[in-house]
Amino acid sequence: MRNDLKCKDCFDLLMDYLEDNLDSETQKKLDQHFAACPPCLNFLESYRDCSKMAQQLRDQQVEIPKELENRLKTFLREQM
Amino acid sequence: MKTKELGQQQIIQGLKDADTEVIDEFIQQFSRPLFGVILNYTKNPPDAEEILQDTLLRVIRKIDTFRQESDIWPWMKRIAINNSIMWLRKRRSSRGREIQLEEYAPTFSEDGHLHGSLFRWSVDPEDVILNAELASQLYEAIQSLPFEYRVPLVLRDTEGYPIKQIASLLGLKEATAKTRIHRGRLAVRKKLADYLEGRG
Repeated sequence: MRNDLKCKDCFDLLMDYLEDNLDSETQKKLDQHFAACPPCLNFLESYRDCSKMAQQLRDQQVEIPKELENRLKTFLREQM
Repeated sequence: MKTKELGQQQIIQGLKDADTEVIDEFIQQFSRPLFGVILNYTKNPPDAEEILQDTLLRVIRKIDTFRQESDIWPWMKRIAINNSIMWLRKRRSSRGREIQLEEYAPTFSEDGHLHGSLFRWSVDPEDVILNAELASQLYEAIQSLPFEYRVPLVLRDTEGYPIKQIASLLGLKEATAKTRIHRGRLAVRKKLADYLEGRG
């Protein structure tokens, strides 16, 4: 299998690569490119890590002022 | 969370009976996490408050439709997310700034090779749990994105929604949803890379 993918081609396919949307041959070509190209691998890792880090923000709790809590209680009581 | 936490069944029954004590406890238990979810979609606290109020009311009004054998939190969160998106789509009159690819993408030579030296990225994604400053930088980077990019990115990366569902929720073609997620990620990556490079 000839691998004629350039860095730019890999960048253009990055999202489909991470979403597993590519056919197996193209996926393999990108694997090979990343394995042989440290700058692209570095970029891939940083892009993927940002996506993974955003997942860690899931279900974060924030402080809410007591007054807001009281307003919510009043509002819901009025609606019931 | 308060020490006097009620169980799911007590909450459901209390909401059905319009028991004011249970409603107060329900607000204490769930308004903070729901507010956190809503703030991912709108940056404006007064808007978030209005959406939260409406979300809590919808939860109470729909409680009869909830399947009791499942966990109530994902169900409530889905209502909060759908409500945030509906609310924002209704009230937004103008489009935000477009993210141009060249602002955040790496540069390539004419023959398609990656240009220049990218600084060495060395972050463990788990660090964001332990490192409050990194978490705050990430949160700010996401929050600074225009609405059109922030919402699909949060739905995909934070909540794990499939692209098809994101496109449908936002009334976009799948290709557009993908482009926006990609550009949003590039912008977040660049902002975090600038922060990490400046720190190192």
